Amino acid sequence: MRTTILFSFVILSGLSVGALAANQVIHQQGRVFSSESVTIKKGGALTFVNDDSIPHNIMSATKGSEFNLGSQAPGTSTDVTFKEAGNVQVICAIHPRMKMTVNVTD
Amino acid sequence: MARLFPRRSSLGAAIAAAVSLGAIGFAGISFGAVVVGETRRIDLAPKAATGVDAMKAQYKRPTTIPFPKENPYTPEKAALGKKLYFDTRLSVSMAQSCASCHSPGFGWGDGLAVGVGHGMAKLGRHSPTIVNAAWGEIFMWDGRLATLEEQALGPIQAAGEMNMPLEQLMSRLTSIPEYKPLFATAFPGEGMNVKTLAKAIATYERTVVSERAPFDAWIEGDEKAISEDAKRGFVVFNGKAMCSACHEGWNFTNDGFQDIGLPSADIGRGEFVPGVVKMQHAFKTPGLREIARRSPYMHDGSLATLEAVVDHYDHGGVDRPSRSDLMKPLGLTAQEKSDLVTFMKTLTSNLSPTAVPVLPR
Repeated sequence: MRTTILFSFVILSGLSVGALAANQVIHQQGRVFSSESVTIKKGGALTFVNDDSIPHNIMSATKGSEFNLGSQAPGTSTDVTFKEAGNVQVICAIHPRMKMTVNVTD
Repeated sequence: MARLFPRRSSLGAAIAAAVSLGAIGFAGISFGAVVVGETRRIDLAPKAATGVDAMKAQYKRPTTIPFPKENPYTPEKAALGKKLYFDTRLSVSMAQSCASCHSPGFGWGDGLAVGVGHGMAKLGRHSPTIVNAAWGEIFMWDGRLATLEEQALGPIQAAGEMNMPLEQLMSRLTSIPEYKPLFATAFPGEGMNVKTLAKAIATYERTVVSERAPFDAWIEGDEKAISEDAKRGFVVFNGKAMCSACHEGWNFTNDGFQDIGLPSADIGRGEFVPGVVKMQHAFKTPGLREIARRSPYMHDGSLATLEAVVDHYDHGGVDRPSRSDLMKPLGLTAQEKSDLVTFMKTLTSNLSPTAVPVLPR
């Protein structure tokens, strides 16, 4: 069982590091997304890092691609995977100047 | 070979465990085409302490007013917009103009707790100032309008405010002979219509900019422009009290929406973003320019003085799920509170008088 847990840990760590290495990272320092527009392949993920000094609330109201990270504290990071092609408008619900487009391609 | 089986079994179990563990994070917060993973803590490089000079650098006044490319400034447009802004005939009763609630005499507000609309009925919220609207990202306390042009038409039509159907308004303005040439000059080839009406009013509103205050002179290097109390207040504002997390930049707002824990049933921004917890009871952060002329304060006009406002923030307000994570008891001393108020008063200029225009007949 210990071996199983160890293996699980190794695999999860591997997946996690792999995901981090592959994902494009979107920063939020200074109440601004680090990219206005990014393109990713269907099934790919973005890593939203709150490296700002205050909470943000990343979300999308784009039909079919709605999501809401809720209050994301400074010093935290969340991966978001986009499974269907199309343009997804991503905003911070708190800060209306923060907006970006994710172009998800086939 | 026999020794490999246990290993392969372990590997298989490990993969199953890993997949199932991974799925826990995804299952509860999946929304169809988008899958949200678990939130992880990360290490941020410690930020160097910000000195007063670095703080001050963030508050320098802009040198020009931004006008949108869809509605660039012309003096003819602004002059027409000013007449429309002060013209009571824009309301169905012919008793209210934009300036009734957004008056230059009260820092471009109305000095009341909540606005007064059609038939002298009280409205639900405090009339916001229009000072520095040119820099606004989104409009109304709840952010329901995207541009100043849209905003200009909102209160005119609202049944509780000026109660004037736009078709009726255009018909009335057309019957006032002196308006026609003013529209023709301001909008060559476009003439008098709802769109040009909105563009003219918005252009005038963008010219309403807070004038230089003692704070600006201090930012530009005059150490004697504000008192030592106010300078200490500036440090508290940017530090311990965290006011600048929302009231940031030269206009003292980032136009963000926050529930600051006022005990009001009004859900504000939540009406337009119903699924987002932090938007319930959230209202747009107002700028703080000309603040000493704009009492009473808050979206509901519930706090009469700046001292009461500081006390509210020091207390932290109503603790509820929607309350901003930035709201918490601050533990300010009496001196710090007093310094904060002294500082905020330095954001008020000696506004020069605004002449009421002669209106078309």
